Amino acid sequence: MTVPDPALLALLRDRIDAAPRGCAYAEARFVGRTFERIRVRNGETDAIDTGTSEGIGVRVRADGRWGFAATREITAEAIEDALDRALHVARTGPVASRGASELAPGPELPARGHWASPCELDPFAVSVEDKLSLLLEADALLRADPRIRRGGGETHAMRETWALVTTDGAACTQIRTECGGGLQVLAADGDVVQTRSYPAAHGGDVALAGWEHVLALNLVAEAPRVRDEALELLAAPPCPSGRHTVILGGEQLALQVHESIGHALELDRILLEEAAYAGASWVAAGDLGALRYGSEHLTVTADATLPGALGSAAWDDEGVPGGRTTLIEDGVLRATLSDRTSAGQLGLPASTACCRAEGFARQPIVRMTNVSIEPGAAGSLDDLIAATEHGLLLETNRSWSIDDRRLHFQFGCETAREIRDGKLGRLYRDPSYAGVTPTFWGGLDAVCSAPAWRVWGVMNCGKGEPGQMLPVGHGTAPARFRDVEVGVA
Amino acid sequence: MRDAIALAEHVLAMTSGQALVRVVAERSLSLRFARSAPTQSTSVEDLDVEVVVLRDGHAGLATTNRIDDDGLRAAARRAEEAAAIAAAHASGAGPYPAPAPGAVIEGLAGWDGRTAELDPSDGGAEVEAAIVEAGTHGLEAFGIWSAGEVTHAIASTEGARLVDRVTDSYMKVICRDDEARCGFASSTDMRLATVDGAALARVASEKVTPATAIDLPPGRYTAVLDADAVGELLAFAGTLAFNGLAHAEGRGALSGRLGEEVASTKVTITDDPRAAGTLPRTFDADGVAKRAIPLIERGIARGVVHDLRSAAVAGDGAGSTGHAVAPGGSPEGPETTNLVLAPGDAEDVAALCAPIERGIYVTRFWYTNTVRERDAVVTSMTRDGTFLIENGRITRPIRDVRITDSLLRLLTDVEALGAGQRLIGHGEFYGRRFAHGVLCPPIRVGGLRVTGGA
Repeated sequence: MTVPDPALLALLRDRIDAAPRGCAYAEARFVGRTFERIRVRNGETDAIDTGTSEGIGVRVRADGRWGFAATREITAEAIEDALDRALHVARTGPVASRGASELAPGPELPARGHWASPCELDPFAVSVEDKLSLLLEADALLRADPRIRRGGGETHAMRETWALVTTDGAACTQIRTECGGGLQVLAADGDVVQTRSYPAAHGGDVALAGWEHVLALNLVAEAPRVRDEALELLAAPPCPSGRHTVILGGEQLALQVHESIGHALELDRILLEEAAYAGASWVAAGDLGALRYGSEHLTVTADATLPGALGSAAWDDEGVPGGRTTLIEDGVLRATLSDRTSAGQLGLPASTACCRAEGFARQPIVRMTNVSIEPGAAGSLDDLIAATEHGLLLETNRSWSIDDRRLHFQFGCETAREIRDGKLGRLYRDPSYAGVTPTFWGGLDAVCSAPAWRVWGVMNCGKGEPGQMLPVGHGTAPARFRDVEVGVA
Repeated sequence: MRDAIALAEHVLAMTSGQALVRVVAERSLSLRFARSAPTQSTSVEDLDVEVVVLRDGHAGLATTNRIDDDGLRAAARRAEEAAAIAAAHASGAGPYPAPAPGAVIEGLAGWDGRTAELDPSDGGAEVEAAIVEAGTHGLEAFGIWSAGEVTHAIASTEGARLVDRVTDSYMKVICRDDEARCGFASSTDMRLATVDGAALARVASEKVTPATAIDLPPGRYTAVLDADAVGELLAFAGTLAFNGLAHAEGRGALSGRLGEEVASTKVTITDDPRAAGTLPRTFDADGVAKRAIPLIERGIARGVVHDLRSAAVAGDGAGSTGHAVAPGGSPEGPETTNLVLAPGDAEDVAALCAPIERGIYVTRFWYTNTVRERDAVVTSMTRDGTFLIENGRITRPIRDVRITDSLLRLLTDVEALGAGQRLIGHGEFYGRRFAHGVLCPPIRVGGLRVTGGA
């Protein structure tokens, strides 16, 4: 976890300084990654995967067009070649008839210095044996019933070393350490097959932190509960369909925010730049300050300064300092997620520092950082349940789908608990719910208070062509929604 | 870059015991455009060296793109340590058998020299042609042109020396009017010479009609699914029904149903890496030779696909069918790569629509995801051209709708298939470029379940 070699920045600086040749802007970004993934399944080691990668991505803006080229070789010659290729592809194809807009201004003071994410226990200093022992102990508890078809768990660790030099004067470095894990169990009885995950589905929960994050998950202590809930689901009836009051647990709400707010507020989507793949948005550029996105209980921020959150960084991939932006205030749209290109197209004074790329071999585009719903005043989850006469508590994502304008969504969860007269009742399996974004958020009438609020990591946010998978964070507290369509699937 | 097989052999020499080394080298070029202007152009040159070491049936995997000897030696060491630790923590022999028996294969059936040149001017010309064509219809063009050359090389301690060089090209065009009405067309092939930006824009623009889109209430509808829509759903069937690991674990849609009638007798599905029109592939990530695998024959479930690991889990005489997507087998199991839905005899989409009194025509699906794995229930949204069929003809546009339905139930209700197949691929590659697709015709299906609208 040492600061990257100054010679690396000097190498990038030398090449970028020599870049102009008609470039309005150029940047060189080094990314080196080390990862480790350990997975156990049914009492055996299923995978011990490790990897390293490094390389340099060069992006240039010439004649109002972007060109990008990547090389895995860390040499002056390779960077020079990448610059040539980037310029060549930038100048390929037609020139926009409507003309190109200027980039939004960069920061007044160019990005300089070094930043490292918090990491108390270096996950790469913890032995693989210790990690396996932890997972195998939890796995044994998960499988203590013959109806368990598959038990298992995994841990994930990744360290990314990043260095950026731009023609705007940026010269900075970062080190980010990600760590996390989780458990999953598959139970079957006849044709009924059910899954239960902890603390989150799709690989568990990952944070910008060290091994201390995995220890805090208490995987061994939680395993018996996870197993018993999977078994209980086998005997549970299907979730009843109809229109219900619904309380979403924090993990499911994180994905709800991700899909129906985060992506919808990416400015490149709003400006149709992503219409061919990720899609556009139901939000229009002229909606800022006027559009009612949801009820007065809905306040949403994008905050790259949240400690421990996967989307946090000191600078984005254009060297713009990470900050906190209120996207939705008391239900009204206030801002979007932008990079310098999209902000420039709208004539905004600055981007919101949301330009990010996966690794060195992908072009930076508009991405979420940490998009969070701010805590409300509904107290704890128990308080919120007690204040709910009749409804359902839905927890842990099972499936997700949303249209290309981020308007019509459908989610499935692992569990639904009946709420009757302020108390939890019977368990239902296979719950799903659907909605239309502004209507759904308009039905938000309570968000739990700050002590119930926490950040969830989403590892698989996909966007861009070639595709880019980026980790993002979402802070949520359990929240209640009225008149939700349940049971469509 | 060193020759890929020489590099694989070089790394193999750094390992001890049973081992397999795969080198995957990518050169690719992607030109994106939106609102009839270029947006992002990306050139990638990179490679992965993947080292799998086996100890008593337990595998350790290490990956690197550093090909100096220090980087390669470190990867070999990490793989050996991982395998040793996995074996030490095991109750017995692991599920991973030895690498496939030695063979020397050089595959070039999927490679085209002209495509491998990756000349940006080729892409620029097609992008410009698409934009010009869209403009003649008063529409804006959006999309991507992409081409790549990927070399897979495998060397193993069992004597395998395998090289497969492949190319692929992909282009999609979406034409859009001021009212956000869209049409879509795409093309996937191993040769970029077949990509015609203007033709794609013409097809896409024909789907943008000036009529106001209507809302369709939830319900079941007879539907004509164009090849892009069929390809998307079959790709999911590859995961939900034909994945040998899910099948062995009892969560697959065909678990316990092989030999049973699971689809219309009109439906025959194979995974065939040499079918005319597909992207030919010679071997999988374990080095197992690929061959045609019957999956559903005239409605009867015949098989699933395996990698070495899933076959070992399945037992009962199962063997790899050449569908490993990662050396040592992916924890998620094997994948189909060359699905082929046999054609029918309907001349075209219009002929498929002809018998329908009231139904829908779907250009393509978007954001498909699994709802219930065991029942192969998925949900998805229509996108870029959904229309009402009335009295045998496509008449009016419909606002996009959500479907939630079982893939096996849909296959049971296939009423007719088109005579012409298209290769349906995707240009969005997460991680290393891995071009694959589904070769399929358009189909008419009864009772498609619409559960909502956008």
